[in-house]
Amino acid sequence: MTDFLNYLILGLTRGSMYALIALGYTLVYGVLQLINFAHSEVFMSGAFGSYIVIHSIVGDGKSLPWFVVPLVFIIGLASGAVVGAAIAWSLERVAYRPLRRRGAPKLAFLISAIGMSFFLSQLAGKLFNRFTNNQFPQYFQQNRTVFSILGARVTVIQVAIIVSALLMMLFLDRLVSGTKLGRSIRGVAEDAPTAALMGINIDKTISRTFIIGGALGGAAGFLFGTAFTFSNTMGFLPGVKAFAAAVLGGIGNIRGAMIGGLLLGVVENLIPTAPWNGHAWIGIGWTDVVAFVVLVLILVVRPSGILGERLGRAA
Amino acid sequence: MNTNFLNSPHVKRLAGCMALAFVLALMIGKQEGSQNDYGLAFRHAIFSPRILIFILIGLLVFAGMTFWPYITPYLLRPGVRPLAVGALTVLVSYTLMHWTDDPTISGGKFTTLASKAANTDGLATSAKIFFSSFVPWILLIVVFGLAAVAIVFSIRPLAWASAAVAVISGIWAYTSQGLVRDFLGTPDHSLGGGVALIGFLTMAVAALATALARSDVADSRRFVDRLLAWRPGMPLVVLGFIVGVIAFAQATWFSPQNLNATLVDTKSFFDGHGLAALAFAYLAWLGWVLFAVTLVLSAAATYLRNAILGWVAGALGAISVVLTLVSIYDYTELAGSQGFDGATGPWQNLGSGPWMAAAAFFLLGGAGILVATLGMRGELLHHEQAEARSSDTLARGFTAPGSAKMFLFIVIAAALFYPPTATGFWQKVLVSEIGIYVLLAIGLNVVVGWAGLLDLGFIAFYAIGSYTTAFLTGALPHKPPSFLHLSPLLAIPFAIVICLIAGVALGAPTLRLRGDYLAIVTLGFGEIIRITANNNPGNITNGPKGAFGIPHPTIHLGPIKFVWGQNNLQYWYLLLVLILVVVLLFRRLEASRLGRAWAAIREDEVAAQATGINTTRVKLLAFAIGASTSGVAGVFFASQIGYINPENFVLNNSILVVAYVVFGGMGSLPGAMAGAAVLTWLPEFLKDQVPAEDRQMWIGAVVLLMMIFRPAGLIPARRRAAELRGLHAPASSEVSAVPEGEGLGARA
Repeated sequence: MTDFLNYLILGLTRGSMYALIALGYTLVYGVLQLINFAHSEVFMSGAFGSYIVIHSIVGDGKSLPWFVVPLVFIIGLASGAVVGAAIAWSLERVAYRPLRRRGAPKLAFLISAIGMSFFLSQLAGKLFNRFTNNQFPQYFQQNRTVFSILGARVTVIQVAIIVSALLMMLFLDRLVSGTKLGRSIRGVAEDAPTAALMGINIDKTISRTFIIGGALGGAAGFLFGTAFTFSNTMGFLPGVKAFAAAVLGGIGNIRGAMIGGLLLGVVENLIPTAPWNGHAWIGIGWTDVVAFVVLVLILVVRPSGILGERLGRAA
Repeated sequence: MNTNFLNSPHVKRLAGCMALAFVLALMIGKQEGSQNDYGLAFRHAIFSPRILIFILIGLLVFAGMTFWPYITPYLLRPGVRPLAVGALTVLVSYTLMHWTDDPTISGGKFTTLASKAANTDGLATSAKIFFSSFVPWILLIVVFGLAAVAIVFSIRPLAWASAAVAVISGIWAYTSQGLVRDFLGTPDHSLGGGVALIGFLTMAVAALATALARSDVADSRRFVDRLLAWRPGMPLVVLGFIVGVIAFAQATWFSPQNLNATLVDTKSFFDGHGLAALAFAYLAWLGWVLFAVTLVLSAAATYLRNAILGWVAGALGAISVVLTLVSIYDYTELAGSQGFDGATGPWQNLGSGPWMAAAAFFLLGGAGILVATLGMRGELLHHEQAEARSSDTLARGFTAPGSAKMFLFIVIAAALFYPPTATGFWQKVLVSEIGIYVLLAIGLNVVVGWAGLLDLGFIAFYAIGSYTTAFLTGALPHKPPSFLHLSPLLAIPFAIVICLIAGVALGAPTLRLRGDYLAIVTLGFGEIIRITANNNPGNITNGPKGAFGIPHPTIHLGPIKFVWGQNNLQYWYLLLVLILVVVLLFRRLEASRLGRAWAAIREDEVAAQATGINTTRVKLLAFAIGASTSGVAGVFFASQIGYINPENFVLNNSILVVAYVVFGGMGSLPGAMAGAAVLTWLPEFLKDQVPAEDRQMWIGAVVLLMMIFRPAGLIPARRRAAELRGLHAPASSEVSAVPEGEGLGARA
């Protein structure tokens, strides 16, 4: 039972990060019907950007008074979000808008995004470094136990990640369903030409959608970097998983992406380790296989994902 | 500042150009900082005087874009494009290409060679003058300037003059390199001089376009078209003539001990050593005679458009190619049998001469066959018809009859006879990068380009093919039953069948999913295969260690016995055969009922279903056919390299193959092949030009730029181009917010 809870909490932690990244995929898919392959690099740049900010504030992070820590955490989250948003915005300007103007075939967008993804991750490698084990300064004891349920320990960083991710998702949900911007995003997602006739500036809406998705992805990059290590190639695997999560929940559907992300995180941590007594039947080595098999099975039963697929309809 | 000012297009453009300048500064900067100082490379790139250069570049781009409307009228003049291309080519050869392979000249680049050559005693004077400080640059500037003035102001005499200067400069550059090569006397494969020659000749064509243009607005493409249409096949004859003359008069035929012997030297070298009569005759006079006769015949055939003469020229060309090869074999075998300069067998210590001779014969014969086959269809094809025949837009640019075929002959000649003259490194790249990925791209083109199914796990089938080979040749822990213990080439049918089954097994449950869902499922499949191979359940795949000791391919048919060894050239020709077979099959497929069904479901699945196409079956077939091609590539890969492990089949490779297909032009066979060839060649080429770690960054940038400026790919598919903008309508620049569903993600 203890092991089960441990893996569940780990799964929720990873899942909430997947969900944050998946939101970026799903938002862009909602308005453009395109997979933004470079989104994983937005995630990566969020980690590097927030690292630079935090490093310049706290140095190596030793002996920081306890009440400053939450502030630093929030600054990190915000700077990750800002950098992610900036990268996502320029990504849209460079890799998407010119192609849109030319009415390029759909796959051309995919390839330009892949080119951008290569470019960004390698540029980050050239600019900063190509080590795979960069770490944030130890500005708080991430692994300290906050509380434990039935012997399963919940650490500070896990609480911080889950709580902040949930808050951001809640915020996004409100934003999309309750504001004018959200209405225009849904409008473009539903029917772009009609939305344009209703006075919505499509280009602007698409830009802002990228910015919102990028901010969430960048913040997730910060969370990921704080909890684990970061590098210029860190985006790839979480990116693929988050994409899978978005598809799992029904791509283009915001709540679907949240549910898909959490579900994927939990499932890929629980199933390979069953029956949670130290003698796994499947084994950690099969984590990714389990994730993809679950994805395939769910898609075979429900071809449009768990919650169905349209952004306009669902949110 | 009010918002109006900020929103003005000029300000935005300036901001964009400045951003470009900064990114460029970052790209061409110092390598990474340490883990203690992340900002090192950034500071070096941005906060140093060199940033001024990049800002200047940004301003130039800004000026160029702003004044573009004033420039464009001049750009429509005939010859502008070839002029620009030619000047760029020469520039590239001066700055990037190797001009010598001599180890004493570090890098072998033009500037290093020039500074040395100008001060070397004993070097021929013409070469010394060419390489002395400013002469090559002055030549380039003079030719470019004269031609540019001639083109802009349409001055015909000046155009003739600049064309003449260009031709002379090109030949001078080429011969100077040759003189240096002879002087140094080391085996040499560098292409600098040749590329410079091509560049200068292109500029000469540009000038001629002006000199011969009938009206001021006729564009250069039309001019080239007219040149090609004058006598179909004639350009091939001219090319064959040039290559042949260089081969027989000047190129190296035999180069042991830094000898660099030309044809005549080679003859006197083997005089009295008991060389077979035929080979000796070839070296002494037969080669020249064959060349002259073939040249005259094919020139006559193309000029007279005579089919019979064409067939004769073609046959003679083929015979001459064979005779050339036999002669090479004879004299190198003789040298090998005497262990001359460490030679262990035939085909060693060869220069580029014999291969160029073979290529010349091939081109001349090809011209004859071109004429013959065009003539067989009665009169010449009308342009429209020629256009309608080709599956891609390669022939659209040049609509002259037979021009697509002409390109084909040139490509085949290069594929057959260029690799033996390349360095060992490039032979390796040709086989294990370019060739294999071309084959994979051809396979994926069926799935992505024709059927419109986005497959991001294509490498999985490649892995399955490789592991099947490993199993059947007994390189895995579990041995096959003895009657199934096969040589690699015999494993091909098994690999095809197994990949077909795997393709169907993956496709059957997932093909009812729409485009993007299919993408993630196939991606997952690719990862599942790789991780399974890595985790090694039941000790089937030998885990991360992989399979080793996979034998090289062999052919053992009665008296014929051929074993492939370590030489990459042998694999190259095997690969060529495989590619040829696959291309021939797929060309038939594209226009078949199945190919048309693919196009139909790609465009509109519902409508296709309504017209009675069994969409599931058709999609499954696409999947299976693509998978089996990938399987064949896998067999080749496994048996060529001898050991495989799961790291060969990472997800990144799948994505790269998709990028190759789209880069080249979705749905066009030549496009997919060209895309794969260019993008696999580029990183190896860049190796000498940029720091090795930065290669992927540059490739990402190239792919991105390509998609921005030419989203349909290098050689766009004709059918797709027609779908996008109608068969004859010009490209529209209509702004559309959301790209039209292209079949892939078109919502049902």
